[in-house]
Amino acid sequence: MSSRLLRARLSGFVIAVVSISHSLAHEIVGNRFFPATLTIDDPGVNDELAVPTTDSFNTADVPPIKQRDISAEFSKRITADFAISLGSAYTFLSPTDPTAPGASGFQNLETTFKYRLFKSPEHEFVFSAGLAIEWGGTGSANVGAEAFHSYVPTIYFGKGLGDLPDIFSWIRPVAITGQIGYSIPARNFTTAFSIDADSGALTSETEFHPRVLNWGGTIQYSMPYLKSVVIDLGLPDVINRLIPLVEANLQTPVANTFTSGTLTTGTINPGIIWVGNTFQFGVEALIPINRQSGSNIGVIAQLHYYLDDIDPRGIGKPIFGGPVQPASPFPR
Amino acid sequence: MLLFLFATSTASAHAFLDRAEPRVGNKVSALPREVTLWFTQKLEPAFCSMMVTNAAGARIDTGKARVSGNQMSISLRPGGSGTYRVNWHVLSVDTHSTDGNFTFQVGQ
Repeated sequence: MSSRLLRARLSGFVIAVVSISHSLAHEIVGNRFFPATLTIDDPGVNDELAVPTTDSFNTADVPPIKQRDISAEFSKRITADFAISLGSAYTFLSPTDPTAPGASGFQNLETTFKYRLFKSPEHEFVFSAGLAIEWGGTGSANVGAEAFHSYVPTIYFGKGLGDLPDIFSWIRPVAITGQIGYSIPARNFTTAFSIDADSGALTSETEFHPRVLNWGGTIQYSMPYLKSVVIDLGLPDVINRLIPLVEANLQTPVANTFTSGTLTTGTINPGIIWVGNTFQFGVEALIPINRQSGSNIGVIAQLHYYLDDIDPRGIGKPIFGGPVQPASPFPR
Repeated sequence: MLLFLFATSTASAHAFLDRAEPRVGNKVSALPREVTLWFTQKLEPAFCSMMVTNAAGARIDTGKARVSGNQMSISLRPGGSGTYRVNWHVLSVDTHSTDGNFTFQVGQ
Protein backbone atom coordinates (compact mmCIF):
# COMPACT_ATOMS: atom_id res chain seq x y z
CA MET A 1 0.00 0.00 0.00
CA SER A 2 1.51 3.32 -1.00
CA SER A 3 1.84 6.52 0.96
CA ARG A 4 -1.37 8.22 1.96
CA LEU A 5 -1.82 11.79 2.99
CA LEU A 6 -3.89 12.04 6.11
CA ARG A 7 -5.17 15.53 6.36
CA ALA A 8 -6.11 16.44 9.86
CA ARG A 9 -9.00 18.83 9.54
CA LEU A 10 -10.76 20.20 12.57
CA SER A 11 -13.16 23.08 12.60
CA GLY A 12 -11.33 26.30 13.35
CA PHE A 13 -7.84 24.81 13.04
CA VAL A 14 -5.24 25.01 10.31
CA ILE A 15 -5.09 21.94 8.15
CA ALA A 16 -1.97 19.94 8.82
CA VAL A 17 -0.75 17.42 6.32
CA VAL A 18 0.70 14.27 7.75
CA SER A 19 1.52 11.21 5.75
CA ILE A 20 1.29 7.75 7.15
CA SER A 21 1.98 4.91 4.80
CA HIS A 22 1.12 1.38 5.64
CA SER A 23 2.92 -1.35 3.86
CA LEU A 24 1.83 -4.87 3.28
CA ALA A 25 4.21 -7.45 1.96
CA HIS A 26 7.06 -9.60 2.96
CA GLU A 27 9.39 -11.11 0.46
CA ILE A 28 11.97 -13.85 0.39
CA VAL A 29 14.70 -13.45 -2.19
CA GLY A 30 17.44 -16.05 -1.98
CA ASN A 31 18.96 -15.84 1.51
CA ARG A 32 17.18 -12.57 2.19
CA PHE A 33 13.93 -12.09 4.07
CA PHE A 34 12.49 -8.60 3.58
CA PRO A 35 9.99 -7.95 6.39
CA ALA A 36 6.92 -5.82 5.95
CA THR A 37 7.95 -2.34 7.00
CA LEU A 38 5.66 -0.01 8.86
CA THR A 39 5.61 3.36 7.16
CA ILE A 40 6.70 2.70 3.60
CA ASP A 41 5.95 -0.11 1.26
CA ASP A 42 8.48 -2.89 0.86
CA PRO A 43 9.13 -4.41 -2.54
CA GLY A 44 7.31 -7.71 -2.25
CA VAL A 45 3.91 -9.14 -3.06
CA ASN A 46 2.29 -11.68 -0.79
CA ASP A 47 -0.83 -12.82 1.03
CA GLU A 48 -0.90 -10.85 4.24
CA LEU A 49 -2.99 -9.16 6.86
CA ALA A 50 -1.92 -6.18 8.96
CA VAL A 51 -4.24 -5.60 11.88
CA PRO A 52 -3.98 -3.47 13.76
CA THR A 53 -1.62 -0.72 12.77
CA THR A 54 -1.85 2.09 15.28
CA ASP A 55 -0.08 5.40 15.48
CA SER A 56 -0.13 8.49 17.63
CA PHE A 57 1.47 11.89 17.07
CA ASN A 58 0.81 15.63 17.37
CA THR A 59 0.15 17.49 14.13
CA ALA A 60 1.85 20.70 13.03
CA ASP A 61 -1.20 22.81 13.78
CA VAL A 62 -0.84 25.67 16.25
CA PRO A 63 -1.84 24.62 18.85
CA PRO A 64 -1.17 21.02 17.84
CA ILE A 65 -3.86 18.40 17.49
CA LYS A 66 -3.29 14.92 18.80
CA GLN A 67 -3.94 12.47 15.99
CA ARG A 68 -4.38 8.74 16.52
CA ASP A 69 -5.07 6.26 13.76
CA ILE A 70 -5.97 2.62 13.75
CA SER A 71 -5.98 0.77 10.47
CA ALA A 72 -6.23 -2.61 8.81
CA GLU A 73 -5.05 -3.84 5.47
CA PHE A 74 -5.39 -7.08 3.55
CA SER A 75 -3.27 -8.17 0.59
CA LYS A 76 -4.15 -11.04 -1.72
CA ARG A 77 -2.04 -12.54 -4.48
CA ILE A 78 -3.90 -13.04 -7.73
CA THR A 79 -0.90 -14.69 -9.36
CA ALA A 80 2.51 -15.41 -7.85
CA ASP A 81 3.74 -11.96 -8.91
CA PHE A 82 0.61 -9.79 -8.72
CA ALA A 83 -1.34 -8.76 -5.64
CA ILE A 84 -4.19 -6.44 -4.74
CA SER A 85 -4.48 -4.89 -1.31
CA LEU A 86 -7.37 -3.12 0.41
CA GLY A 87 -7.10 -0.93 3.43
CA SER A 88 -8.64 1.74 5.54
CA ALA A 89 -7.96 3.70 8.70
CA TYR A 90 -10.00 5.28 11.46
CA THR A 91 -8.74 8.59 12.80
CA PHE A 92 -9.24 10.31 16.14
CA LEU A 93 -8.44 14.01 16.37
CA SER A 94 -8.16 15.59 19.81
CA PRO A 95 -7.30 19.28 20.25
CA THR A 96 -4.92 20.10 23.09
CA ASP A 97 -7.53 22.60 24.26
CA PRO A 98 -9.85 20.31 26.23
CA THR A 99 -12.81 22.64 25.69
CA ALA A 100 -12.57 22.40 21.90
CA PRO A 101 -14.46 19.60 20.15
CA GLY A 102 -12.57 16.74 18.56
CA ALA A 103 -13.46 14.64 15.57
CA SER A 104 -13.25 11.07 14.42
CA GLY A 105 -14.02 9.11 11.33
CA PHE A 106 -12.75 6.85 8.59
CA GLN A 107 -10.15 7.89 6.08
CA ASN A 108 -10.77 7.12 2.43
CA LEU A 109 -10.55 3.50 1.33
CA GLU A 110 -7.44 2.63 -0.60
CA THR A 111 -6.68 -0.06 -3.15
CA THR A 112 -3.19 -0.95 -4.36
CA PHE A 113 -2.33 -3.03 -7.40
CA LYS A 114 1.25 -4.29 -7.28
CA TYR A 115 3.31 -6.39 -9.66
CA ARG A 116 6.73 -7.88 -8.96
CA LEU A 117 8.71 -7.28 -12.10
CA PHE A 118 12.10 -8.74 -11.30
CA LYS A 119 13.78 -10.86 -8.66
CA SER A 120 17.42 -11.92 -8.34
CA PRO A 121 18.04 -14.40 -5.52
CA GLU A 122 21.79 -14.34 -6.12
CA HIS A 123 21.97 -10.58 -5.56
CA GLU A 124 19.05 -10.40 -3.09
CA PHE A 125 17.36 -7.83 -5.31
CA VAL A 126 13.68 -7.36 -6.07
CA PHE A 127 11.81 -4.68 -8.03
CA SER A 128 8.08 -4.05 -8.26
CA ALA A 129 5.69 -1.47 -9.67
CA GLY A 130 2.22 -0.56 -8.58
CA LEU A 131 -0.70 1.81 -8.58
CA ALA A 132 -2.48 2.94 -5.43
CA ILE A 133 -5.90 4.54 -5.65
CA GLU A 134 -7.41 6.50 -2.81
CA TRP A 135 -11.16 6.46 -3.35
CA GLY A 136 -12.39 9.97 -2.67
CA GLY A 137 -15.57 10.47 -0.73
CA THR A 138 -15.45 7.09 1.02
CA GLY A 139 -14.13 8.61 4.22
CA SER A 140 -15.17 11.37 6.57
CA ALA A 141 -14.41 14.96 5.61
CA ASN A 142 -14.16 16.02 9.25
CA VAL A 143 -10.89 14.06 9.58
CA GLY A 144 -9.55 15.33 6.30
CA ALA A 145 -10.62 12.60 3.87
CA GLU A 146 -10.79 14.18 0.43
CA ALA A 147 -13.84 14.11 -1.79
CA PHE A 148 -11.84 13.31 -4.91
CA HIS A 149 -9.75 10.31 -5.92
CA SER A 150 -5.97 10.24 -5.95
CA TYR A 151 -3.81 8.01 -8.10
CA VAL A 152 -0.28 7.10 -7.08
CA PRO A 153 1.89 5.15 -9.52
CA THR A 154 4.84 3.81 -7.54
CA ILE A 155 8.00 1.80 -7.95
CA TYR A 156 9.56 -0.27 -5.18
CA PHE A 157 12.90 -1.96 -4.79
CA GLY A 158 14.80 -3.98 -2.25
CA LYS A 159 18.48 -4.93 -2.13
CA GLY A 160 20.22 -7.09 0.41
CA LEU A 161 23.96 -6.73 0.80
CA GLY A 162 24.59 -10.46 1.03
CA ASP A 163 26.66 -10.46 -2.14
CA LEU A 164 29.40 -8.36 -0.55
CA PRO A 165 32.81 -10.05 -0.27
CA ASP A 166 33.59 -11.94 2.93
CA ILE A 167 35.79 -9.08 4.16
CA PHE A 168 32.53 -7.16 4.63
CA SER A 169 30.71 -10.09 6.23
CA TRP A 170 29.37 -8.04 9.15
CA ILE A 171 27.65 -5.67 6.71
CA ARG A 172 26.01 -8.45 4.74
CA PRO A 173 22.92 -8.58 7.01
CA VAL A 174 22.11 -5.04 5.90
CA ALA A 175 19.27 -4.52 3.44
CA ILE A 176 17.98 -1.37 1.82
CA THR A 177 14.49 -0.85 0.46
CA GLY A 178 12.89 2.14 -1.20
CA GLN A 179 9.84 3.46 -2.92
CA ILE A 180 9.03 6.42 -5.14
CA GLY A 181 5.44 7.35 -5.95
CA TYR A 182 3.80 10.26 -7.73
CA SER A 183 0.45 11.26 -6.28
CA ILE A 184 -1.99 12.68 -8.81
CA PRO A 185 -5.21 14.14 -7.41
CA ALA A 186 -8.22 13.81 -9.66
CA ARG A 187 -9.09 17.42 -8.93
CA ASN A 188 -6.73 20.35 -9.39
CA PHE A 189 -8.37 22.73 -6.96
CA THR A 190 -11.34 23.20 -4.66
CA THR A 191 -13.07 26.51 -4.06
CA ALA A 192 -15.04 27.04 -0.86
CA PHE A 193 -17.58 29.87 -0.54
CA SER A 194 -18.64 31.50 2.67
CA ILE A 195 -20.36 34.62 3.98
CA ASP A 196 -18.16 37.08 5.85
CA ALA A 197 -19.67 37.42 9.35
CA ASP A 198 -18.90 41.14 9.58
CA SER A 199 -19.69 42.47 6.12
CA GLY A 200 -22.13 39.84 4.93
CA ALA A 201 -20.22 39.63 1.66
CA LEU A 202 -19.71 36.42 -0.23
CA THR A 203 -16.08 35.30 -0.03
CA SER A 204 -14.23 32.44 -1.61
CA GLU A 205 -11.08 30.53 -0.84
CA THR A 206 -9.35 28.30 -3.35
CA GLU A 207 -7.10 25.46 -2.37
CA PHE A 208 -4.89 23.92 -5.08
CA HIS A 209 -4.27 20.19 -4.74
CA PRO A 210 -0.62 19.53 -5.47
CA ARG A 211 0.98 16.63 -7.19
CA VAL A 212 3.22 15.08 -4.61
CA LEU A 213 6.30 12.91 -4.77
CA ASN A 214 5.95 10.26 -2.07
CA TRP A 215 9.35 8.83 -1.43
CA GLY A 216 11.22 7.01 1.22
CA GLY A 217 13.29 4.02 2.18
CA THR A 218 14.57 1.79 4.90
CA ILE A 219 17.90 0.52 6.05
CA GLN A 220 17.66 -2.70 8.05
CA TYR A 221 20.05 -5.01 9.89
CA SER A 222 18.74 -8.56 9.94
CA MET A 223 19.71 -10.64 12.97
CA PRO A 224 18.09 -13.74 11.39
CA TYR A 225 20.35 -13.22 8.38
CA LEU A 226 23.40 -12.77 10.58
CA LYS A 227 22.69 -16.03 12.36
CA SER A 228 21.79 -18.23 9.40
CA VAL A 229 24.12 -16.85 6.73
CA VAL A 230 27.05 -14.97 8.30
CA ILE A 231 27.82 -16.18 11.80
CA ASP A 232 25.92 -17.91 14.59
CA LEU A 233 26.94 -16.07 17.77
CA GLY A 234 24.86 -18.32 20.01
CA LEU A 235 22.56 -15.45 20.99
CA PRO A 236 19.12 -16.06 22.51
CA ASP A 237 16.38 -16.83 20.00
CA VAL A 238 14.51 -13.62 20.80
CA ILE A 239 17.57 -11.61 19.69
CA ASN A 240 18.04 -13.71 16.57
CA ARG A 241 14.53 -12.76 15.43
CA LEU A 242 15.04 -9.00 15.61
CA ILE A 243 15.46 -6.63 12.67
CA PRO A 244 16.39 -3.13 13.82
CA LEU A 245 15.77 -0.55 11.14
CA VAL A 246 15.31 3.09 10.26
CA GLU A 247 12.62 4.19 7.86
CA ALA A 248 12.20 7.53 6.11
CA ASN A 249 8.75 8.49 4.84
CA LEU A 250 8.74 11.80 2.93
CA GLN A 251 6.49 13.87 0.71
CA THR A 252 7.47 16.68 -1.62
CA PRO A 253 4.86 18.76 -3.49
CA VAL A 254 6.22 19.20 -7.01
CA ALA A 255 3.39 20.61 -9.13
CA ASN A 256 0.26 22.71 -8.70
CA THR A 257 1.86 24.03 -5.50
CA PHE A 258 0.25 27.50 -5.40
CA THR A 259 -1.25 27.04 -1.96
CA SER A 260 0.68 24.06 -0.59
CA GLY A 261 4.18 25.31 -1.16
CA THR A 262 7.04 22.98 -1.98
CA LEU A 263 8.38 22.13 1.43
CA THR A 264 9.25 18.49 1.98
CA THR A 265 7.56 16.98 5.02
CA GLY A 266 7.75 13.60 6.62
CA THR A 267 9.26 11.56 9.37
CA ILE A 268 12.34 9.51 10.20
CA ASN A 269 11.31 6.36 12.00
CA PRO A 270 13.82 4.28 13.96
CA GLY A 271 12.43 1.08 15.36
CA ILE A 272 12.54 -2.65 15.51
CA ILE A 273 10.67 -5.61 14.04
CA TRP A 274 10.40 -9.00 15.72
CA VAL A 275 9.87 -11.81 13.21
CA GLY A 276 7.95 -14.95 14.11
CA ASN A 277 7.15 -17.95 11.96
CA THR A 278 3.69 -16.73 10.96
CA PHE A 279 3.57 -13.13 12.06
CA GLN A 280 5.71 -10.15 12.94
CA PHE A 281 5.41 -7.27 15.37
CA GLY A 282 6.98 -3.88 14.80
CA VAL A 283 7.23 -0.59 16.65
CA GLU A 284 8.86 2.65 15.54
CA ALA A 285 9.19 6.24 16.66
CA LEU A 286 7.89 8.90 14.28
CA ILE A 287 10.37 11.80 14.30
CA PRO A 288 9.22 14.83 12.27
CA ILE A 289 11.90 16.18 9.93
CA ASN A 290 10.72 19.75 10.47
CA ARG A 291 8.12 21.76 12.34
CA GLN A 292 5.69 21.45 9.43
CA SER A 293 5.73 17.68 9.76
CA GLY A 294 4.59 17.52 13.35
CA SER A 295 5.19 18.95 16.77
CA ASN A 296 6.44 15.95 18.74
CA ILE A 297 7.85 12.47 18.41
CA GLY A 298 5.05 10.04 17.76
CA VAL A 299 4.88 6.26 17.68
CA ILE A 300 3.57 3.57 15.35
CA ALA A 301 3.09 -0.14 16.01
CA GLN A 302 1.86 -2.99 13.86
CA LEU A 303 0.88 -6.64 14.13
CA HIS A 304 1.26 -8.32 10.77
CA TYR A 305 0.27 -11.85 9.74
CA TYR A 306 1.86 -13.95 7.00
CA LEU A 307 -1.17 -15.65 5.47
CA ASP A 308 1.06 -17.65 3.10
CA ASP A 309 2.53 -19.33 6.16
CA ILE A 310 -0.66 -19.58 8.20
CA ASP A 311 -2.78 -21.14 5.44
CA PRO A 312 -0.53 -22.00 2.47
CA ARG A 313 -3.14 -24.14 0.73
CA GLY A 314 -6.07 -21.78 1.27
CA ILE A 315 -6.08 -18.02 1.53
CA GLY A 316 -2.29 -17.97 1.56
CA LYS A 317 -1.78 -19.12 -2.00
CA PRO A 318 -2.26 -17.24 -5.27
CA ILE A 319 -5.75 -17.46 -6.76
CA PHE A 320 -4.14 -18.53 -10.03
CA GLY A 321 -1.20 -20.86 -9.53
CA GLY A 322 -0.63 -23.47 -6.85
CA PRO A 323 1.36 -23.22 -3.61
CA VAL A 324 4.00 -25.79 -4.57
CA GLN A 325 7.18 -24.30 -5.90
CA PRO A 326 9.39 -26.63 -7.92
CA ALA A 327 12.60 -27.69 -6.24
CA SER A 328 15.84 -27.03 -8.05
CA PRO A 329 18.36 -29.68 -7.02
CA PHE A 330 21.98 -28.65 -7.27
CA PRO A 331 23.60 -29.99 -10.45
CA ARG A 332 26.23 -32.68 -10.04
CA MET B 1 -9.83 -15.03 14.11
CA LEU B 2 -6.84 -13.53 15.89
CA LEU B 3 -6.91 -16.28 18.53
CA PHE B 4 -7.01 -18.86 15.76
CA LEU B 5 -4.06 -17.27 14.06
CA PHE B 6 -2.06 -17.21 17.26
CA ALA B 7 -2.97 -20.80 18.00
CA THR B 8 -1.67 -21.90 14.62
CA SER B 9 1.35 -19.64 14.65
CA THR B 10 3.72 -22.61 14.83
CA ALA B 11 1.72 -24.95 12.59
CA SER B 12 3.30 -24.14 9.25
CA ALA B 13 5.62 -21.61 7.72
CA HIS B 14 8.67 -21.27 5.52
CA ALA B 15 11.53 -23.51 6.62
CA PHE B 16 14.35 -21.19 7.63
CA LEU B 17 17.68 -22.40 8.90
CA ASP B 18 17.44 -22.60 12.68
CA ARG B 19 20.95 -23.86 13.44
CA ALA B 20 23.76 -25.85 11.91
CA GLU B 21 26.62 -28.06 12.94
CA PRO B 22 29.30 -26.86 12.31
CA ARG B 23 27.76 -23.55 13.31
CA VAL B 24 27.37 -20.84 10.70
CA GLY B 25 30.50 -18.74 10.33
CA ASN B 26 32.37 -20.59 13.07
CA LYS B 27 35.72 -22.37 13.10
CA VAL B 28 36.25 -26.01 14.00
CA SER B 29 39.55 -27.75 14.60
CA ALA B 30 38.94 -30.58 12.14
CA LEU B 31 36.56 -31.25 9.27
CA PRO B 32 33.57 -33.14 10.71
CA ARG B 33 32.25 -36.38 9.21
CA GLU B 34 28.99 -34.70 8.30
CA VAL B 35 27.17 -31.39 8.18
CA THR B 36 23.78 -31.24 9.90
CA LEU B 37 21.16 -28.53 9.47
CA TRP B 38 18.06 -27.94 11.59
CA PHE B 39 15.16 -25.97 10.16
CA THR B 40 12.19 -24.18 11.65
CA GLN B 41 9.70 -26.50 9.94
CA LYS B 42 9.43 -30.14 8.95
CA LEU B 43 10.75 -30.93 5.50
CA GLU B 44 9.64 -32.84 2.44
CA PRO B 45 12.57 -35.24 1.92
CA ALA B 46 12.13 -35.69 -1.84
CA PHE B 47 12.60 -31.97 -2.47
CA CYS B 48 15.56 -31.22 -0.21
CA SER B 49 19.20 -31.12 -1.12
CA MET B 50 22.53 -29.96 0.25
CA MET B 51 25.97 -29.44 -1.21
CA VAL B 52 29.28 -28.74 0.54
CA THR B 53 32.26 -27.32 -1.35
CA ASN B 54 35.81 -26.46 -0.38
CA ALA B 55 37.64 -23.21 -1.09
CA ALA B 56 38.43 -24.39 -4.59
CA GLY B 57 34.77 -24.99 -5.31
CA ALA B 58 35.07 -28.78 -5.39
CA ARG B 59 32.31 -30.79 -3.77
CA ILE B 60 33.30 -32.78 -0.72
CA ASP B 61 29.89 -34.21 0.21
CA THR B 62 29.10 -37.84 -0.46
CA GLY B 63 25.79 -39.55 -1.02
CA LYS B 64 22.35 -38.07 -0.80
CA ALA B 65 21.19 -35.68 1.89
CA ARG B 66 19.35 -37.49 4.68
CA VAL B 67 16.17 -35.83 5.90
CA SER B 68 14.24 -36.62 9.06
CA GLY B 69 11.60 -34.24 10.37
CA ASN B 70 13.21 -30.80 10.42
CA GLN B 71 16.78 -32.10 10.17
CA MET B 72 18.96 -32.64 7.12
CA SER B 73 22.46 -34.15 7.11
CA ILE B 74 25.07 -35.06 4.55
CA SER B 75 28.32 -36.97 4.93
CA LEU B 76 31.67 -35.45 4.00
CA ARG B 77 34.88 -36.78 2.49
CA PRO B 78 38.03 -36.13 4.52
CA GLY B 79 39.54 -32.71 4.07
CA GLY B 80 41.98 -30.22 5.50
CA SER B 81 42.01 -26.66 6.74
CA GLY B 82 40.24 -23.91 4.91
CA THR B 83 36.86 -22.37 4.30
CA TYR B 84 33.95 -24.57 3.31
CA ARG B 85 30.61 -23.47 1.88
CA VAL B 86 27.28 -25.17 2.47
CA ASN B 87 24.45 -24.64 -0.02
CA TRP B 88 21.04 -25.94 0.89
CA HIS B 89 17.59 -26.08 -0.65
CA VAL B 90 14.48 -27.36 1.13
CA LEU B 91 10.75 -27.65 0.71
CA SER B 92 8.77 -27.42 3.93
CA VAL B 93 5.64 -29.49 4.52
CA ASP B 94 3.59 -26.33 3.95
CA THR B 95 4.84 -26.28 0.32
CA HIS B 96 7.20 -23.30 0.58
CA SER B 97 10.70 -23.69 -0.75
CA THR B 98 13.66 -21.83 0.67
CA ASP B 99 17.35 -21.95 0.03
CA GLY B 100 20.47 -20.50 1.47
CA ASN B 101 24.17 -20.85 2.01
CA PHE B 102 26.82 -20.18 4.62
CA THR B 103 30.48 -20.88 5.33
CA PHE B 104 32.48 -22.40 8.15
CA GLN B 105 36.23 -22.67 8.68
CA VAL B 106 38.46 -25.58 9.56
CA GLY B 107 41.78 -24.89 11.24
CA GLN B 108 43.58 -24.07 14.46
